[in-house]
This record gives sequence, C-alpha cells and structure tokens, in this order.
Amino acid sequence: METAEPRTLDDGLWDRLSELTEGAADLCYQCGVCTAICPWGLVREEPLPVRTLVRHAQLGLSDAQDALWLCTACAQCEVTCPRQVPVVTVIRALRQLRWERRQTLKGLPSVLWSLYWNNNPWSQPPSRRGNWAQGLELPTYDAEKHEVLLYVGCTCSYDRRAQSIAGALVKVLRAADVRFGVLGEGEPCCGEPALSLGHLPYFEEIAQKTAEVFRERGVRRLVAISPHAFDVFQNHYPALDEGFRPSHYVQYLADLVRTGRLGFDRSLDLALCCGGGGGRAWIETPAGERFSDLRIREAAATGASVIATACPLCVACLEDSLRAQPLAGMQVLDVAEIAARALGETA
Amino acid sequence: MTDLHIVVCMKVVPKTEEVRVNPETRRLIRAGARSEINPPDMNALEMALGLKDRHGGRVSILSMGPPTFEPYLRVGLAMGADHVYLLSDPQFGGADTLATTYTLARGIQRMDGADLILCGEESSDGATGQVPPGLAEWLDLPQLTLVTDVTIDAVARRVCGRREIRGGYELLAAPMPAVVSARTACNEPRFMDYRIKRRAFEEGQVTVWRAEDLAADETMIGARGSPTIVSGLDEARVRERRREFLRGTPEEIAQDLLARLGLLD
Amino acid sequence: MVASRYTVEEQRQAIWVYLEQTSGELERISLELLSKGRQLADRAGWPLAGLICGHQVRPLAQQALAHGADEVWLADHLLLADFAVETFAQATFAALMQGRPSVFLVGGTPNGRDLAGRLAVRLRTGLNADCTNLRLDPRTGILTSEITGFGGGVLALLEMPNHRPQMATVRPGVFAPADADPGRTGRVIELPLDLSPEILRTGRVKRVVGRGVDLTQASVLVCGGRGVAGDFDMLERLARLLGGEVGATRPPADEGHVERERQVGQTGVVCRPKLAFACGISGASHFVVGIQEADTVVAINTDPEAPIFEFSDYCIVGDASRVVPALVRALQERRGTTHD
Ligand SMILES: Cc1cc2nc3c(=O)[nH]c(=O)nc-3n(C[C@H](O)[C@H](O)[C@H](O)COP(=O)(O)OP(=O)(O)OC[C@H]3O[C@@H](n4cnc5c(N)ncnc54)[C@H](O)[C@@H]3O)c2cc1C
Ligand SMILES: Cc1cc2nc3c(=O)[nH]c(=O)nc-3n(C[C@H](O)[C@H](O)[C@H](O)COP(=O)(O)OP(=O)(O)OC[C@H]3O[C@@H](n4cnc5c(N)ncnc54)[C@H](O)[C@@H]3O)c2cc1C
Repeated sequence: METAEPRTLDDGLWDRLSELTEGAADLCYQCGVCTAICPWGLVREEPLPVRTLVRHAQLGLSDAQDALWLCTACAQCEVTCPRQVPVVTVIRALRQLRWERRQTLKGLPSVLWSLYWNNNPWSQPPSRRGNWAQGLELPTYDAEKHEVLLYVGCTCSYDRRAQSIAGALVKVLRAADVRFGVLGEGEPCCGEPALSLGHLPYFEEIAQKTAEVFRERGVRRLVAISPHAFDVFQNHYPALDEGFRPSHYVQYLADLVRTGRLGFDRSLDLALCCGGGGGRAWIETPAGERFSDLRIREAAATGASVIATACPLCVACLEDSLRAQPLAGMQVLDVAEIAARALGETA
Repeated sequence: MTDLHIVVCMKVVPKTEEVRVNPETRRLIRAGARSEINPPDMNALEMALGLKDRHGGRVSILSMGPPTFEPYLRVGLAMGADHVYLLSDPQFGGADTLATTYTLARGIQRMDGADLILCGEESSDGATGQVPPGLAEWLDLPQLTLVTDVTIDAVARRVCGRREIRGGYELLAAPMPAVVSARTACNEPRFMDYRIKRRAFEEGQVTVWRAEDLAADETMIGARGSPTIVSGLDEARVRERRREFLRGTPEEIAQDLLARLGLLD
Repeated sequence: MVASRYTVEEQRQAIWVYLEQTSGELERISLELLSKGRQLADRAGWPLAGLICGHQVRPLAQQALAHGADEVWLADHLLLADFAVETFAQATFAALMQGRPSVFLVGGTPNGRDLAGRLAVRLRTGLNADCTNLRLDPRTGILTSEITGFGGGVLALLEMPNHRPQMATVRPGVFAPADADPGRTGRVIELPLDLSPEILRTGRVKRVVGRGVDLTQASVLVCGGRGVAGDFDMLERLARLLGGEVGATRPPADEGHVERERQVGQTGVVCRPKLAFACGISGASHFVVGIQEADTVVAINTDPEAPIFEFSDYCIVGDASRVVPALVRALQERRGTTHD
C-alpha cells in the first residue's frame, strides 16, 4: 500500500530526474515484477519497493527513503522487467539527487572524502598503496616493455585477504611469462564507489583523471582484478584510445589458456596425445616411447598437482606412466570425479 | 541575523604518515609529502556551514600559510564557504603560536571582525591547541574549546557549545562574538557540491593579504615575532625491551604468555 | 622582537607550577608537576612554588608543600570557585606579574591548555606544548623542552631564551608523582585579588557527569589499533579478566569505535601501567610514548616487521582476532579451575 498522504510534485525535480535518467523511467508501466524479484524480499518482510521508486522517479517525487540505499545493483529486476527499464540507472539518478540535497546516509560523505584525500575508499594512507607487493619486485608499467598493465585496485592493495588474490595472480602471470607492470603508489582509484553511491559528477571527474593517467602511460591492455573496476573501465569511462582494452583477469587468463601461454606448453590443437587414441590402446607401445610419460612430465612442469582429463583411456595411460615414474603429489582425475569431489561426494 | 559572519580558521598539513625521518640526520623530510586540510578544521567548517544553513549569513575561511595552501582552501569553497582569506607572506614564516595568533587576529580585524570564529581543536602537525585560546586573547573574546556541537541564539546573540568532559559533558554559553574550537570527528563534513565546485576551483573568491595589507607590526610576525626557537633535534630515547617472539598456535601462545607474565598462578 | 611583559632581567630565579584542583582536591597532574619541578629546582638551586586558584582552597597548601613546593601562592576568591578562563587567566596573570618566576609549568589538561594558551599571549611569551621532558640549565637558567614530532621518534628541543616566564604544558602521566613528605613546611602567600563578575563572559549552562575513565591509573591496559578492525568488545573481555582498562590508538578513536578519552599517546593519555597490550597497532612513536613507561609490553601483530615489536617485551606474530580470544579462554579456564 502506498501512503495516502498528499505529496507535492516538484516540477524542477521532475526535470532534473528525467534529465538524469534520460527518460529511462518512462517505460515502466508499474507491473511490479521488479519488487517481486528483488532479493531484499528474502530477508525482509517489506521488500525493496523498486516499483514505487521508479514511480516516484516518473512523477518527480522525492522523499528521503532509506530504501534507496538498499539496492545492491544486482540487476535481477532489469533482467525480468518486461519493459527493459534500466532500474539500476534510475536508482543511481535518485541517489544523485540525494547528494544534491544532502540527504545521504551517515558515513557516505566520508567515503567520498577518502577517495578525495586518500585515493581509496578505505581511509588508508595513499603512500602505502604499493606495500602489498613488497618483496615481489614488480616493475612499474612501461608501455614499451609491457604487454599488460595489471590494475590492482584499492581493495586488493589494502585489504589483507584480498592482497593474497593479487599475489596469486602475479604468480600465475609470471608462470605464463606475461610481460606486465603495475602503477604501484601511483595507481589511481577507478572511482567505482562514487558511481555506485550515485555521485555521478564526482565519478566523472575521477574517470577523466584516471583515463588521463592511462593515456599518458600509453596503456593498451589493462587487466583488472576486481570486476567492479573492470565494469567501470569497460562501460562507464569516457572513450579512451582506440587500442585501450580492459579485461577482467578471468577473461585474460582464459585468453592465456586459449593461446597456449598458460598451462601445457603443448596444448589445444597441439596438445600431446596420451598415446591411447587411434586404436593404440590395444597395441603395445614399448617402454620409453610412450607419449603419456612425456605428458605427465609436461604436466609436472606447469606446477600442477592434478592432471584432469575426460577420457577413461587417458586416465589409464597417464596413471600407468605415473606408476612407473612417480611424481610427488601428482594425481590423475577425471573431470566427473573432480565435480563429484566438489559436491563432497565420497566415492 | 542574515548578516551573520562566521570565520573558520583552517590549516593545511602534511598527511601524518607521509612525513618521514631521515635515519642519518634524524631530520624531517617533508618534501613530497601529500597534504590535506587539518581534519578537525573540516569539522569546524561543517559546523559553520550548518549554522549558515539554519541562520543564513556568510562563511569566510581564514588561513595563514604559503600560496600552496590555496587549492586546498578552495575545497572549502566547494563545500559552501563564501570566501577565502589567505595570509601569505614570506615574513610570516617560522611563526610559533604567539606570532600565528597575532597574525590571524590581524586578519580578522582586517575583515571587520566576525560573529563567530571557529577553529579545529588542534593541528595534526604542531598539535599545540594553542591557537584558539591565543586568538581569543588577542581579540579579547570569550572562548569555548573542544566542543562537539554548537548552537546560536541569533536574537540574544549568544553561542552555546557542548563540551565533552571526563565521563560526561557540559553546555557552555557565551555572548557573541566568540572563539570556538571543534573536536575532531564531532560531525561528518559534507562532500563538495559539484554544482558549485567548478566555480570554486576557478579564479576569484580568494583574497591574499600580505603583511602590509594587515598593517601588521613587523616585530610581531613570523620568526621575528616568535619567542620559541627550535634549539635542536634529538633521537628519541627508546627504552630497551626484551623483544622475545612467542611461537605456536594461538592456544599455545596464550599459555606461554600467561605463564611468563605470572598470570597462571 | 616583541618584549615579554617582564623580561629576563626582571625575572626571579624560581620555578612555578600551576596546581589544578577540582572541588577542593589537587588533580594528580599537579602532583606530577610538583615532582618534576622539585627535580629541576634542586638541580638549579632555585625555589619551587605552587600556584593554586580556587575558593576556600587553603587546605590544599599543606598538601602542595608536602609534595615538594617551597612556597604556595593562593588565589582564593568566590569567583574562582568554578573554572572559567576569564577569571582564572586574570588571577594567574596577576600572580605571575607579582612573582615573576623564570619558569611556569601547566598541566596539559583541557582547562590547563585553555588557560596557558591565553596567558602566554597576555604575557607575550612562548609556550611549549605537551613536553615529554624538561631540562633546566643551572648556569644560563634556560629551560629546554623536549617534544616529539611526527611519527619516527624525532625529538625537537624548544627554548625561549629572551622571554619570561618560560612556559610549558605537560600531559598527565608523563612524570611520576613523588611521595608526600608531611614534615615539609613552607611559606603560604595569599594573593590580594581584585576580580569583578563583569569579566566573566563564559557560563556553564549544564553539566552532566558520569563515571569517568582514567587510563593513567590503570595497572593493566589493553590497547587496540586499526588492526583490530573495530572489535573492542574482544579487548574489553580481556581487560575485564585482567582488571584493566581498554585503550586505543588514534584511528579507532577517530572512527568512533572507542571514546576519545581512551586514546593513548602523544595527544591522548600517557600511561604507566604494569602491563600493556598492543593489539593490531603498528607502533608509531605517537602511540609508543603513551606506553613506553609500562613495565611490560606485549604486542600482537600480523606483520613480523611491525615497529611495535621493537618496543615490546613479548612479541606475537599473529592475528589479534585469534590470539586475544585464546588469551580470554585461557584466563577463563584458569579462573574456573582456581574457583573450584
Ligand atoms: C612538531 C611541532 C611542534 C611545535 N611545537 C610548538 C610549541 O610547542 N609552541 C609553539 O608556540 N609552536 C610550536 N610549533 C609551531 C606551531 O605549529 C605553529 O605556530 C603553527 O602556526 C600553529 O600552531 P599549531 O599548528 O600547533 O595549531 P593548533 O593550535 O594546534 O591549531 C588549532 C587550530 O587553530 C587553527 N590554526 C592553526 N594554525 C593555523 C593557520 N596557520 N592558519 C589558520 N588557522 C590555523 C586551526 O583551526 C587549527 O585546527 C610546533 C610545530 C611543529 C611542527
Ligand atoms: C600530532 C599527532 C598526534 C597523534 N597522536 C596520537 C596519539 O595520541 N595516539 C595514537 O595512537 N596515535 C596518534 N597519532 C597517530 C599516529 O601517528 C599513528 O598514525 C597511529 O598511532 C597509528 O595507529 P595504528 O597503529 O592503530 O594503525 P596502523 O599504523 O594502521 O597499524 C595497524 C597495524 O595493525 C596490524 N594488523 C592488521 N590486521 C591485524 C590483525 N588481524 N591482527 C593483528 N594485527 C593486525 C598491521 O600490521 C599494522 O601494523 C598522532 C599523529 C599526529 C600527527
């Protein structure tokens, strides 16, 4: 039920809102699927009134509802909306109005001030941004020498747990012989907190400055650890140079695997057969000529502890080789077995 | 009282963790250190802007320091202050708190006074907390220090401040004009208003006054006007500690430590 | 150069300390200043005087003499019954102009700082803030104040060779009070005062006081820093088991995880507990000054390189959120068994 209290429509506000949302809210015909799907309904009696928020945006109504700050931008409502209303964009615009009227939640201005003074949203000293990499001897990005800029981001730079993600990725990139550099203390914040908290003008200012840093450094391929950073670089930054290509690290690792740089030296089309194909499972191969002996050594060279395959003949050949020349800790498993283990199945 | 005039004294300070010490000379290396507005001065400004929201009037920012302060002070304009007065002259350099408060007081007199003068409780570099009472003395005004909240009665021209004291608080009142110092973190400073930010960072709205503009007595400003001299820098004496590392699981460490501390008997 | 209200030539070779009192009792800081003042005076061969402002405070004079003063100046007046900076500044100013001491020390408490900051300007002299040590050269009569500057353990030495009195503030807890010697006697000088209510502009409208914390008195101090991520409940449990108090570095106080009065260090409280814990604290010198007089220091930090370990007796490289609960459990078990 919406309240019956009379409200005044504010024409100025209506104009501001439709300008900010570029008419995005107009499409809504108030079916309410958004409110129904919103995951806040899982944990609260009162779900997040997405439909009402959108309605208010259409009418130019603004009341300082805390509900506006509940949205996690998960966008399930956008997926189910029959009219394709970009709800997250509408909510961001409503949040921006709150900034203009200084009706935000306590603590949020401090987050923006931290971005401003500290170049991170965690109130951490800017001079310690590069400290996580102490001892790793990471080179500063140089467009001449490096193919990739590793964009670490604020959370992986300062948060102890997240630092180990950055450390792990460094290890993987090194194993793939990727020539990469970082910006260390000079790495600018991507500005995502300003965007998602709805302070669009400040986000745009950060985006301009950060994009300028990338341009000056001649960055083309950028690999972000956080998907939030990747998202703003990809979808919310001003057009950067032609060749600028941000990736999330998972995409990048997939590329590395695809191009054969990560994993076996011989992979994909050139992957070495276990030796059991072509009917050779029924034909003896003399010891010393078995491909599977080579294959397990190749596997060991990658540092892996499990050789995964999806073929019973491979398992037979590889395990046979492994018995003849045991490699510490190495195991052969079928993908189905790995999946079952992940489910906690005891075979 | 729409002509309410509030002056906020603001200092730009190096970010604490950035001031390093040369291990050889034991001297401060300030070069390259990032700066910020002294944190409680942001709280003082928020207090002033809150009063302006309620009572109207104008807010001026007053600072003594080098021209490099200017872009920082413009942050205050973007938050809603009306004007910046920067007292900047090589002659002001090397001031202790006596010379600093004299100079700031001249600045306030030059702008024909104020109804309220707000300061931070202390700076993060000098940290003497002596500027607010010193300023009040030069201007012969009452002072309310270390307050966490302030209200004014515009008609009676009185200011009331809440001050935290050991285990409680007190409410203090004084006639205006008065000097008030704001406790660090007593409020949350509003973020800059981006509808006015561009203008705030462009020219204008900043007046720079030199010593002669203040008709300041040259014997009272800068190093010359400062009784205090820094006669030396020393290494901090550090008492020798045992520095024994305890190892094991948290449980083992707990037992080991409590035993060593004699807390297990 | 601007001249002070009385000059080096006009000074008397004497050390004065301002004796802060509340409701007819000397504050502990006053005893600490008397103890340090006594040391300086003995070295220089100068007299030590205490200045007390208040109403009906004569009984405090004997206590001040017992704690080391050679003479006590009393500013006793109805208008001094409660602290107000206007009346107290006027009374102290009058006393100083009459006694003209070379050195004047004030406690770095909120009221002490208010008073000293105003007085120094009225006297046109310097004021050294929050000194961690004081030296007096018996030959030149010059007071050297040690102050710590920024993190990193730099001590700056401040002097004011040409201005009198040489003023300094000292935080509570920096110096240890000396034992009283009830046999000591000395002169008590009543200061004639001409105070009128008109000078009083600041007034107290209301005062609410509950149980205060006084970390300077705690024998066990459990301090937390940024590394405990706001979990002060855990520290509170440990402190309670050890009969101690919780302290903090500046960041948690700034972020509101603990009351400001629990901040330990340069601009917080300087403590001298028997045992101090430093949990999730890096060991900036601003903090370390607050516990360096502790008999024993235990540090818990995930970073084996954290500077705090250099200032600790027992060093634990580990996560405070695991080590502190283990200590709590161990103490509870212990208690359980001893009670059985
Ligand atoms: C480590 C160190 C120790 C020092 N010790 C002493 C000392 O013991 N005695 C002494 O006389 N001087 C001392 N100084 C010098 C002192 O810092 C300067 O005189 C300074 O100009 C003002 O004092 P403060 O920073 O302590 O300000 P505080 O009194 O701590 O500042 C309180 C408030 O006053 C206002 N304010 C302070 N400075 C300015 C300014 N320049 N412009 C506008 N507003 C301002 C701000 O609102 C601030 O929050 C010291 C300096 C350093 C770096
Ligand atoms: C004028 C002035 C006055 C000051 N006065 C004071 C003062 O009175 N008191 C004061 O304390 N500071 C004061 N400071 C601030 C001081 O310089 C330091 O910034 C502050 O002491 C640092 O606090 P911290 O050790 O809690 O934080 P940090 O320096 O950020 O250290 C946090 C530590 O926690 C460790 N850690 C992280 N996670 C864990 C975990 N799970 N378990 C265990 N350890 C962990 C980290 O390794 C790190 O060493 C003052 C500064 C200035 C400029």
